[in-house]
Amino acid sequence: MPTVVLMDVSLSMTRPVTVDGTEEFQRKNLAVHGLNMLFEHMASNYRLEFTSLMAFSSLWELLVPFTRDYNALQEALSNLEDYDKTCVESALQGVSNVVQQEWGSACPCQVVLVTDGSLGIGKGSLRHSLQTLKQRGDDKKFPLPFPFPTKLFIMCVANAEELQMTDAMDNLEELLILSGGDGQIFTMEGPLCMKSVQAMFGRLIDHAYSPFHAVLHCGNLSSDVQVFPRPEPVVMDEEVEPMPRTVNTDLEIVGFIEIADISSPPVISRHLVLPTAPNKEVDDLGTGTTDELEEEPSASQMAGKSPNFCVLLHGSLKVEGMVALVQLGSEWYGMLYSQADSKKKSNLMMSLFEPGPDPLPWLGKISHLGPISEAAENPYGEDDSKSPFPVQPQAKRSYAQNVTVWIKASGLQTDVQKILRNARKLPDKTQTFYKELNRLRKAALAFGFWELLKGVADLLERECTLLPDSAHPDAAFQLSHAAQQLKLASTGDSQYAAFDHNIAPMHTDFSS
Amino acid sequence: MKMFSVSHKTVFVVDHCPYMAESSRQQVECDVLTKSRAHGVIPLAPVSKSLWTCAVECSMEYCRILYDIYPKDKLVNYIVSDSEFHILNTWRQDNQSTHELMSALAAVGPPNPREDPECCSILHGLVSAVESLCKITELQHEKRTALMDTAERVSNRGRIICLTNAKSDTHVRMLEDCIQETILEQNKLAAGSDRLMAIQQCDLVLVHIYPQGEDTLVSDRPKKEISPLLTSEVHSVRAGRHLATKLNILVQQHFDLASTTITNIPMKEEQHANTSANYDVELLHHRDAHLEFFKSGDLHMAGTSTRENGLKETITLKWCTPRTNSIELHYCTGAYRISPTDVNSRPSSCLTNFLLNGRSVLLEQPRKSGSKVISHMLSSHGGEIFLHVLNSNRSTLEDPPSISEGCGGRVTDYRITDFGEFMRENRLTPVPESSHHPSGKLPVERAKAQLERHTRYWPMIISQTTIFNMQAVVPLANLIVKETLSEEDVLTCQKTVYNLVDMERKNDPLPISTVGSRGKGPKRDEQYRIMWNELETLVKTHAGATERHQKVLDCIIACRSKPPEEEERKKRGRKREDREDRTEKNGSKDTEDKSWQESDRLKGLLDKDDQESEVIKDSPDSPEPLIKKPRLSTEDAQPPERAKGPVSLLSLWTNRITVANSRKHQEFVGRVSSVNNKFELYQQLKEENGMEVHENGKASR
Repeated sequence: MPTVVLMDVSLSMTRPVTVDGTEEFQRKNLAVHGLNMLFEHMASNYRLEFTSLMAFSSLWELLVPFTRDYNALQEALSNLEDYDKTCVESALQGVSNVVQQEWGSACPCQVVLVTDGSLGIGKGSLRHSLQTLKQRGDDKKFPLPFPFPTKLFIMCVANAEELQMTDAMDNLEELLILSGGDGQIFTMEGPLCMKSVQAMFGRLIDHAYSPFHAVLHCGNLSSDVQVFPRPEPVVMDEEVEPMPRTVNTDLEIVGFIEIADISSPPVISRHLVLPTAPNKEVDDLGTGTTDELEEEPSASQMAGKSPNFCVLLHGSLKVEGMVALVQLGSEWYGMLYSQADSKKKSNLMMSLFEPGPDPLPWLGKISHLGPISEAAENPYGEDDSKSPFPVQPQAKRSYAQNVTVWIKASGLQTDVQKILRNARKLPDKTQTFYKELNRLRKAALAFGFWELLKGVADLLERECTLLPDSAHPDAAFQLSHAAQQLKLASTGDSQYAAFDHNIAPMHTDFSS
Repeated sequence: MKMFSVSHKTVFVVDHCPYMAESSRQQVECDVLTKSRAHGVIPLAPVSKSLWTCAVECSMEYCRILYDIYPKDKLVNYIVSDSEFHILNTWRQDNQSTHELMSALAAVGPPNPREDPECCSILHGLVSAVESLCKITELQHEKRTALMDTAERVSNRGRIICLTNAKSDTHVRMLEDCIQETILEQNKLAAGSDRLMAIQQCDLVLVHIYPQGEDTLVSDRPKKEISPLLTSEVHSVRAGRHLATKLNILVQQHFDLASTTITNIPMKEEQHANTSANYDVELLHHRDAHLEFFKSGDLHMAGTSTRENGLKETITLKWCTPRTNSIELHYCTGAYRISPTDVNSRPSSCLTNFLLNGRSVLLEQPRKSGSKVISHMLSSHGGEIFLHVLNSNRSTLEDPPSISEGCGGRVTDYRITDFGEFMRENRLTPVPESSHHPSGKLPVERAKAQLERHTRYWPMIISQTTIFNMQAVVPLANLIVKETLSEEDVLTCQKTVYNLVDMERKNDPLPISTVGSRGKGPKRDEQYRIMWNELETLVKTHAGATERHQKVLDCIIACRSKPPEEEERKKRGRKREDREDRTEKNGSKDTEDKSWQESDRLKGLLDKDDQESEVIKDSPDSPEPLIKKPRLSTEDAQPPERAKGPVSLLSLWTNRITVANSRKHQEFVGRVSSVNNKFELYQQLKEENGMEVHENGKASR
């Protein structure tokens, strides 16, 4: 989930902070200090996150496009200049453009807005923007909510009391609601100083940038992993199940499935599964005592050389072309698979299915997938020539059965012509003739279209008179029999007009 | 869409009064004469559908699309109204199919024009529709039961689609008032019942149908709120084509559908089989398949066109002829069931049959310029066709560190093939919901239990194991992990053990091969001791399962050769030994890891050649120190933690050489049992073994 840091560089950010100490700080310095802390944290614990830095006042500027180079971000921070007044609306418009250009409109994004809570005056101020919200044309819509899912974090270099004295807090809260409500407003507690700004950014880090550590299990085999990006809580139906679901920190493999069988399933998110060095305290299987080492090689070197289940799993998934089905929580599943990028680097990846008992109709209920050893005979066949998937639904869809639709005249005409074509080839086409006839009869009865039954009966009688002399005598019998049966059905007489009744070919004795 | 939105329950109320028998006055020529037969034949008079027929077939089309896209949990209750109401089906899932409804409609038949119009009214049906909306559905019942204390989260909303011929706007208002009153009445009733639920929201969609060429007596009216419980909208439509279009639009609005037109589908001409023309097919599906377009405002870029009445929009995507049938895991952000708008047209059925036969088709966004963007894929799964949405944006996970750079990435002798085999054995298969297992556990829990059993002892790398590198152990290793063993299985296991005993007696070589280059490796009987220990470890993890598992362990303990003091140790309790076994394992592994690192420097000097080769059959287990001591005293002298003692440079070096050499060949018997590096040739070996000695000897030097 990429991050956009939106930094307020208006003049008000240069307001000095009254500290008893010797040095004098501006609010901007505090903000920069906080952001530096965030970037340092990300560089060491969340380094795969793409982050960009934007500065805004009445105008906005993209200082650093999306990058994982946290040095570049920190350097840009140290070169901030001061500008005029705050104009949040245009800056948010800028965020919207920048994000969509880079990631499209489906990729969830985090926006960290750093400001001092003085939100501009007059036209262009947040207050003005919010007041005029409803009087806008389509071309000048307020940028929130963004088209992409957003988490908006507002970092105020000010304390809550200060913000509540004006309407700043109300405006920020409204902004948060407009963005979709996912996010938080952070304010400083206590006096404005380095310590409290650290505390505030610390809360943001805990809330949004703490790495997700989990243990991947496959029976007794296991590996400590980091899942990146962190899987976010999911709300499936705010009415029936308003509590968001979260991914367990124990990820349990339940079994394996061929890639062809899982066949490009829809997923709600994708994550890298990165093995991490096992915790020293945990005496896991395979980590022996390490105390008698004379000189310890660097931890990462060690980690690279002790066998890790993730690497084994990844290798075998890749070679076999399979995925591992993994349980993420109660009635929530995902899959693990090997993913190679263009540079032939490959990785263990986890995709999350939609929470629920049967996220993929072609697998059926996941809780009802069992081991093949229980089946009387191997459902994959002795030579892997078969597969128990996909699971067939109980009913066929309309396009998989021969449905009758006469909404367009052509549909009706085609069906009548089909009957006539077969009528002319009697008795060779007796079976098809009656099959088509019965299909038409059923539909006509259901639609209450008795007039059609009479019409087709007339047509068949006419065909009968037009039969050439060379025609098989059976043809005439079948035609008049069919015509008579249709006429009877068109009376609605329950004996002849039953839906499930089929007109059977007349039994004749010309078969020799 | 919420689970219990208005769309959960739809009641169709179709007017069956005598006036519905009137002709729609839209005529269909069904006798299309071919030119050759045109002479002298009087064509049949065109037929025309009644208002009833029009209403029924359009409502059936609505249901067809609905059931195609939502096979579950979007329910229809069909009611016909004349002098009384006729309920044609229930909310039950097994009543939800067009076949079921058509069968019931056939039983009702067309309206009887001679019936007394005074007794007939659509009101009977509408009252019954409200009653029906109060009835609880299977899903509502299930969720209410599941939610227990929070059962009130299950809502009861619904929609009534009334197809009728109303007399006037006043008549319409009268119908609305009547529904409003009935809702209030029924809600009172529902409050006191378990099987009924009060209606929280009801949307009435009244469609007034009138014959072609007549003026309508009822005016259109957009949705308005009659009461907090009831909204109502009126559509006044001519029978025939217009009604069909109207209901098609309604089904899209009611169920959040959108339309995609697949363009440029190559299709063989019926008449000229060797030419093909390009066709378009329109499909309906959930509108989230277009989410990306809607959000980015890219609708026009993606080839939207507004058609006919300006209400219906479709997005055009271009067919990309599939080249191969390669199996690929696409990054897919959504998959939505489709329904063709014109299901039995030739282009539609050609497309759907192609897909049902198992081919997938990628779809491309038509763009005037720039690169080709594949945004969707059509694919069928189990006879259902889905429109998959493929991610076409930049990935936020690009350029990740390769797995070989992370933890465990530098280890090269993972048992990849063995784990592949393990995965095949642990593949999943659907188990019918009706089948019950004696354990009472769900199939997925049993799958997990199997994984647990299969991994009780599963070394991850080749050099950590002896037994899994031995073909002779396979039958036992495969059987022992089973939940239960048959007598026959036990026999097979015992046979395996006897076979091993036999091998030991014959002094057959083991793939353990930690033979020192100058005869300093573990002695053959030491190798067997390692092998037996490992085998015992494997079987011990299962011995507690059943008596038969225990029998296999007993067999191993009885058969394996063991120095007497080990027997003694055994008496001190199995638990302790278990622990020892484990530390021994870990210890030895550690030693080896360390020695590997230590000697990394030397790695380059030694075998630079096939170091990475993965098909190492006989990798070394780490030799234990002090093996040079007289055989019988070794065990006694060793404290259990002996493997952790400091390792001398010499033994590291020896290890390294051993590893290097053993990778190249299987150690020959002569050297293993040599004394002071001397061995009398042809002593008890066959001649070809002797030959191998020479060849291998040369090769390794």
